[in-house]
Amino acid sequence: MLSLLIFTPLIGSLVIALLPRENKDLLRRVALLFSLVPVALVAIMWARYDTAAEGMQFVERIPWIPAVGIQYFLGVDGISFPMLAVTALVTTLAILASFNIQERVKEFMALMLLLETGMLGVFVALDYFLFYIFWEVVLVPMYFIIGIWGGPRREYAAIKFFIYTLLGSVVMLVGILALYFQSGLGTFDMLAIAEQARLNPTAQYWIFLLLFFGFAVKVPIFPFHTWLPDAHVEAPTGGSMLLAGVLLKMGTYGFYRISYPTLPDAAKAFAIVMGVLGVINIIYGALVAMAQKDFKKMVAYSSISHMGFVLLGLAAMTPMSMAGGLFVMISHGLISPMMFFFAGTVIYERTHTRMLPEMSALFTKMPVAATLLAFAAFANLGLPGLSGFAGEFFTLTGAFEPLTSLVAVAVLGMVLTAAYHLMMMRQILMGDATAEAAGHAAALAHGHGAAGHGAAAAVRLPDLTLREAIVSAPLMVSIVLFGVAPSLLLRIFNPSIQALLSRMGGL
Amino acid sequence: MQWLMILPEILLAAGGLAVVAAGVMGRRRETPAALAAATFVAALVALWPLRGITAEAWWGMLVVDSFALFFKALFALTGLLVVPLAHAYVERRGIHAGEFYALIVFAVLGMSMMASSRDLLMIYLGLELLSIGSYVLAGMLKDDDRSLEASLKYFLVGAMTSALLLFGLSLVYGISGSTHVEAIRRAVSAGDGWRGVAVAGMWFMLAGFGFKVAAVPFHMWAPDVYHGAPTPVAALLIAGSEAAAFSAILRVFTTGFGPLANYWQAVFAVLAVATMTYGNAAALVQTSAKRMMAYSAIAQAGYVLVGLAVGTPEGFGAMLYYLLAYLFMVVGTFAVIAWLSLARPEEMLDDFEGLGRSVPWVAAAVVIFMISFIGIPPTAGFLGKFYLIRAAVSADMVWLAVVMVVNSAISAGYYYSIVRRMYLTDRSATVAALPPGTSLVVGLAAAATVLLMLFPQPIIEWLGSAQQVVALLR
Repeated sequence: MLSLLIFTPLIGSLVIALLPRENKDLLRRVALLFSLVPVALVAIMWARYDTAAEGMQFVERIPWIPAVGIQYFLGVDGISFPMLAVTALVTTLAILASFNIQERVKEFMALMLLLETGMLGVFVALDYFLFYIFWEVVLVPMYFIIGIWGGPRREYAAIKFFIYTLLGSVVMLVGILALYFQSGLGTFDMLAIAEQARLNPTAQYWIFLLLFFGFAVKVPIFPFHTWLPDAHVEAPTGGSMLLAGVLLKMGTYGFYRISYPTLPDAAKAFAIVMGVLGVINIIYGALVAMAQKDFKKMVAYSSISHMGFVLLGLAAMTPMSMAGGLFVMISHGLISPMMFFFAGTVIYERTHTRMLPEMSALFTKMPVAATLLAFAAFANLGLPGLSGFAGEFFTLTGAFEPLTSLVAVAVLGMVLTAAYHLMMMRQILMGDATAEAAGHAAALAHGHGAAGHGAAAAVRLPDLTLREAIVSAPLMVSIVLFGVAPSLLLRIFNPSIQALLSRMGGL
Repeated sequence: MQWLMILPEILLAAGGLAVVAAGVMGRRRETPAALAAATFVAALVALWPLRGITAEAWWGMLVVDSFALFFKALFALTGLLVVPLAHAYVERRGIHAGEFYALIVFAVLGMSMMASSRDLLMIYLGLELLSIGSYVLAGMLKDDDRSLEASLKYFLVGAMTSALLLFGLSLVYGISGSTHVEAIRRAVSAGDGWRGVAVAGMWFMLAGFGFKVAAVPFHMWAPDVYHGAPTPVAALLIAGSEAAAFSAILRVFTTGFGPLANYWQAVFAVLAVATMTYGNAAALVQTSAKRMMAYSAIAQAGYVLVGLAVGTPEGFGAMLYYLLAYLFMVVGTFAVIAWLSLARPEEMLDDFEGLGRSVPWVAAAVVIFMISFIGIPPTAGFLGKFYLIRAAVSADMVWLAVVMVVNSAISAGYYYSIVRRMYLTDRSATVAALPPGTSLVVGLAAAATVLLMLFPQPIIEWLGSAQQVVALLR
């Protein structure tokens, strides 16, 4: 089942490679079809998923390179299964959102599916070697997606993304090998090492730091974050959606899956560092987001800010804060793709700008699209009743007891987050359309020269298309669903979180 | 039995002579190439009955064991892949086919002799046979100044290398009274008073071999030679000749100088760090494809040296795997460079521009080679680096592993510049028609690069028996 799930997109990518490049519609539809298979499989698995069990489910295990102790070992638990679902869903939507790509459609769709195989593989691999392979496989298609279809500075952004994350992950590889030898078990089995290896604290500290480097670049944790704004801003919409929705979670997932269960002493020793870094991410990300004029850059920094909550949840190590961190991962995995979709496609295609000061009065120009954007913004700033609030609430409540002062600062971050979202909305959604139309048209004329955006056209823009509505709807439904009924997710998280914390010996 | 044991060498010698004869007498231009290819196939087949055997022959001058067998197979495979990749190049550049293929066969014969010997004299003999052939091969483009310069430079440096090796060899002979590695081993572990002389002899031999594998600071000749030599010859030198030198180093240092491991391990560690760092730094600023690959070859030799610096059986096994993986990436990449040079003989990096659009399958194969050079899965280069790093971490040399991985990340800068040119530029390439030999080699090499990583178990089991042969430390 899991093998089928992760390799269907790969097969799809090979099928696309064999199709003629001229028939763009066929390529798009085939890609969409192959990306829907994982969604369907996840749905079937969800129905069969045993929420009471704390262990791995849907396990597959075959010896691969027995001479070294490497296995083909897959499985999911409450930590990985929801991520799997988000990955499958967001990939499908990202492919749908990329239907407007006209250049080199064949390569783009093949790379998106290849990327999906890598991302799904990361969340189901239970062997370090296999995990690392999927982790690295993600790099190559993302490099091309940014580098070929990205914005004006795409080459720089792509190679920066590539070298930063490569450097992080190769150092992580040394950490994995150190773990393998220190455990003395002669296996790369993640579960076996986590359960049986009792490493001495010094070894744990070193290995934790080596792994931290790899995960921190992906999250990204301040000060390893500088690749992210470049990558996000330059990437095409589909790429940004996956970067923010899924790739960043690979880093925090690494902490949940590897660092914390396997290196509990180091996790406890570094808890305060993680917490402080988390708060720095929250505050720094929010402040920088506030200063941005570029819509995509604002969302990119807002992602850095939100990932800080996950770190804070990890640092506190209470059942509630850990579940809250996972909740934020899922919630942000739904909200940020929606934000990027609006910033990079829905609004950009109509206004031909990503600069906030150049937009205004979108409420009157395209009421439906603007309302949905407002919805996404409210979700992102943490409005109660939506999933973003639930995640942050659990994280902060759970972290309050052990890390009171850090939580107090983090709450300030929430205020900042609300502030820059409201400022953004006031700037681009409100305002008087007719009054500023003349100035706006002038700006367009010398800045972008887009035809048909004169004074008359600026008043009314085409509203949401059906395809855009189809991309937004599943995200909105999930955001509301998990916001109103967070227990849907918590039910899945909790047994695994309990198991994780009891393995770590509590606090 | 003795004759059967040297049957692969006999076949290579006879085949080489036949190629010469065909070059002189034959009228069909394809005959020498076909004969050379047939010779390599025959040599590979003749290796089959020898598997699992461990025996000495010809008074201990030649040995057949799984270690020797591994390298002989690797060399014959190198020859077999270089022949089709060279075919169109040789035709176009007006190289005399008879001489060219004959020298390639003899060079492979020299490599085989090096791998199959436990006697220093025999190793020297093989080395000279390989080297003299290579000097001529490097100068085969008679109307190209770079090629002539490469030949002369290679010859001069090679002569000095031989002198260093011989001097070291004579010092070692002086204390052991023998040129056989087993006798040397006994002498250096027993003779306390003479240890200083043994170590000095070892240093000289290390310098000699260091030149052959282009380890910094003995690398100065390599960029010019690899750059100037005909492209198929550069592939042969980088993939085959360096591997042959490594096979000799492994045999001599782990067996003969095994008791002196304390004296050479740290030196190899320093060489490894200097070699990979220098090679990568210099490769970053190149504009010529061949010259960049020449510096890349230096950097890659640095990675292989990590196995020696670690000095454990795992390290040696990792070296063997890496050399095998490296063969396919190098031959595949040079096949593409040789093909591109048919249209634009300058062999610049910019020749790769637009390949992603004009020949997508070749470009995809080049991407596989490049990510394999960097060490990204799912490629053999990744598994090779994984084994080397694993060996280093296992021997508590985490610092060396970290230096190596940081170097791989740096190397992404220049390997990806090829990928960038293929896909991220709008220029379309002016390319010659794809010769069937090139597509065959590129396809095989790309498939091998991926399959060696996905199904490595048979190779690893084979390597396990090969690494035991050279694991006689202390």
